[in-house]
This record gives sequence, C-alpha cells and structure tokens, in this order.
Amino acid sequence: MAEVISVNDGNFESFIQGSRMVIVDFWAPTCMPCQLMEPGLEKIAANHPENVRVLKVNVNESPKTSSRYFVRTLPTLLFIKDGQVRTQIIGAVNPGQIEKTLSEVS
Amino acid sequence: MEKNWDVIIIGGGPAGLAAAIYCGRALRKTLVLEKKVFGGQIVFADIIENYPGFAEPIVPADLMEQMVKQSERYGVVLENDEVQGLRREGDGWLVDVYQNTYTAKAILYAAGSVHRFLGAPGEQELLGRGVSVCATCDAPFFQERKVAVLGGGDTALSEALHLAKFASQVSLVHRRDQFRAEKILQDRVFKNDKIRVIWDSEVLAFKGEQRLEALEIRNKKTGLIEAMAFDGAFLAIGTIPNTELLRGFVKLDENGYVVSDISLRTEAKGLFIAGEVIKGNRRQVAISVGMGVQAALGCEEYLAALD
Repeated sequence: MAEVISVNDGNFESFIQGSRMVIVDFWAPTCMPCQLMEPGLEKIAANHPENVRVLKVNVNESPKTSSRYFVRTLPTLLFIKDGQVRTQIIGAVNPGQIEKTLSEVS
Repeated sequence: MEKNWDVIIIGGGPAGLAAAIYCGRALRKTLVLEKKVFGGQIVFADIIENYPGFAEPIVPADLMEQMVKQSERYGVVLENDEVQGLRREGDGWLVDVYQNTYTAKAILYAAGSVHRFLGAPGEQELLGRGVSVCATCDAPFFQERKVAVLGGGDTALSEALHLAKFASQVSLVHRRDQFRAEKILQDRVFKNDKIRVIWDSEVLAFKGEQRLEALEIRNKKTGLIEAMAFDGAFLAIGTIPNTELLRGFVKLDENGYVVSDISLRTEAKGLFIAGEVIKGNRRQVAISVGMGVQAALGCEEYLAALD
C-alpha cells in the first residue's frame, strides 16, 4: 500500500520527475487544518498506489521548496506532472475534492 | 455505505460532533457529513484556554480528535463529504453528496460559518500571497517580517499574539477605538512590545503585484488615507454563516443567519439547527457544544414521536 512520503529541500527534485502525477502537501506543525487533512491524503495515496505519488513538505524545514513554488499559505496542495505544476488547491479540503481535482488534471 | 439514516448531521465542528454523541447514545443511526476537516472554525486557533474542564490550554486538533472518537464509540459514522443539496421527500429528507444520495428522518444542520472578507480591491488577488485568513497556518512565512491583523475580536487578538512569535512587528488594524475581545487577551496584546494598535482605521485596498506590499488604510476620525508597508495581512473580521442549503426551508435574516429560540427547531419538520448558523451566537466552542446537545435532544424527541 502506497503511503505519503516526507521529502525535503535535499531530495524533493528526485521525487517529482517522471510521468506519474505527484501531489505535494505543504504543511507545518503549527497548522491545524494541515494536520487534520493528513488522514485524507493517506487515503488518496492508498487509493492510487500505481499512478499517484503523495509527498509532504514541512515548510519550516524546507524553505527553498516552498519559495520555489511561492507557497505562502497553508495547507497548499500542488499537483505536479512531468515536473510541471498542473493546478493547486489552497486551504483544507476533503479527499473527495482531491479525487475530483485529480480526475480533472490527470 | 449505508444509504438510510435516522439522523444526518451536516457539519463536523463542535456543535455537530456534540450532537452526534447524543444522537449515538440515543441509539439513532447517525451520519455526520463534513466537507472540509472535522473541527470547524476552531482548527484555525492555536490553543483553546476557555473550554471548561481543562486547566491547561488545549490544542484544537486534540479536542476534536477526542470528540470524533467519543461519537464513534456510540456508533456514529463520520464521512468527509460535501453536501450538494438538501431535499424533502415525504416526511423525511434526501441529502445529496458527491456521487451519492442519503435519506434521513431528521436533519441536524450545524454547518457553521466561513471567513468573512472585506471585499476591498486586491484582497482576492493577493489571497495566499500575503493575504491570509489563518495565522496558525501561515505565521512561519512571516519570520522577521511586518504583518497586519484586521479586526478587534477574540480571533484578531489571538492571531496577533500568535504572529508576534514570528513577525518583527504586528499591527492590529481596528475600525473602533476599543476591542471587544476578552480582557485577558487585550491585556496580553497591550503588554506585547511587538504589537501596536492602529485604532479607528479601515483597510481600503490591498496593494502589491506578485505579493502583498502595502495596505491602504483610512483613519475614520481624521479621514487621512495612508499606504503602509506590510508583508502580510491577516483577516479576522468575523464570519458569515454557511446557510445556503437552508434557503427555501428556513427563513434567514438579512445576513444569512437562522433566527431561532432555545428549542433550536425550525419551521421545517424534522430540521434542527445548532452552532454558528444561528443569529446572535457568540462563537465559542462551549456554546456550540451546548447548542449541539440541545438540538440533538429536540431531534430525539421528534424521532421518538415518529417511532
């Protein structure tokens, strides 16, 4: 079963290459909505073990990655394919909305 | 997934979850639908200090986790899904969600509220680029930067105090000459060297190209308009009720609130309400919890009469 993978400034790049859809969850320990979204993201990772990779980036520990994508609000979800951002969701959302966005951009 | 329920609770904040515990203990088949994350508006707070029964400050996520577990203990099902429509069918209700429809004998509507925006130029364009509605979420982006908090209630002052741990300076922009927030929060704000208050002032515009750079602020007493440089602006100017789904069933006031007496029943048979959708609510976890319980007891009385 696929899980949510914690990545950082050092290894982020290597995880977003390739044709697989990547969802990046930008979060921080002080962000309550981020914490409450975690079970939903785990569900998404488990539902799509083959074609979707779910990453999480702690913005406190990985400022370069957050700045690169101009992330200035949490939670922010980026949908990346072939290294390019296809769309983003700002603010807490449920797994159903993530699935809907996935089907729109896949 | 079960389609037919005794009670469907719309909204998984403190009101909805408190109601769920009582419906579950009344042995009613109960479903709670929450469109975002369980917890409602309190998930935006960093700590809760005034919920009775806890001598130490509590983390909202911990409190909500306990409420979720407590309701599940009594057989309540919690589902993360958005209600798209509410319809009547005979004496009961149909609830449309994303790719599904449920039936319920009664509805307990506790969908809470959403952040209010000023509607000033630049606000929506710069949302997420310096303009924010959640200090606990976004404070890390403003380390050693200048930020403004708009508002004068409990939320505004709590957010200012939280931001002062990160930012170099926090300006509270308030349209009146006094705060309506709890006195203990006012005391902390006045004693905090990093926080200054800009009284009697309103924000006319959010300025910036790629990100927020300044706020255009008007002093209501002098009429003077000034552009002040800020890296961040946090909106804490209140909320608006989430009552669109109730239109056609319940009379709403001019601001979209439901006007209700203590029974928390509505003019629509089998439709009960609780929490921040109600006019005059004071936006406190303890009040929402109490209202959830009151509505659930009324709901149980209604269901018992149908049995």
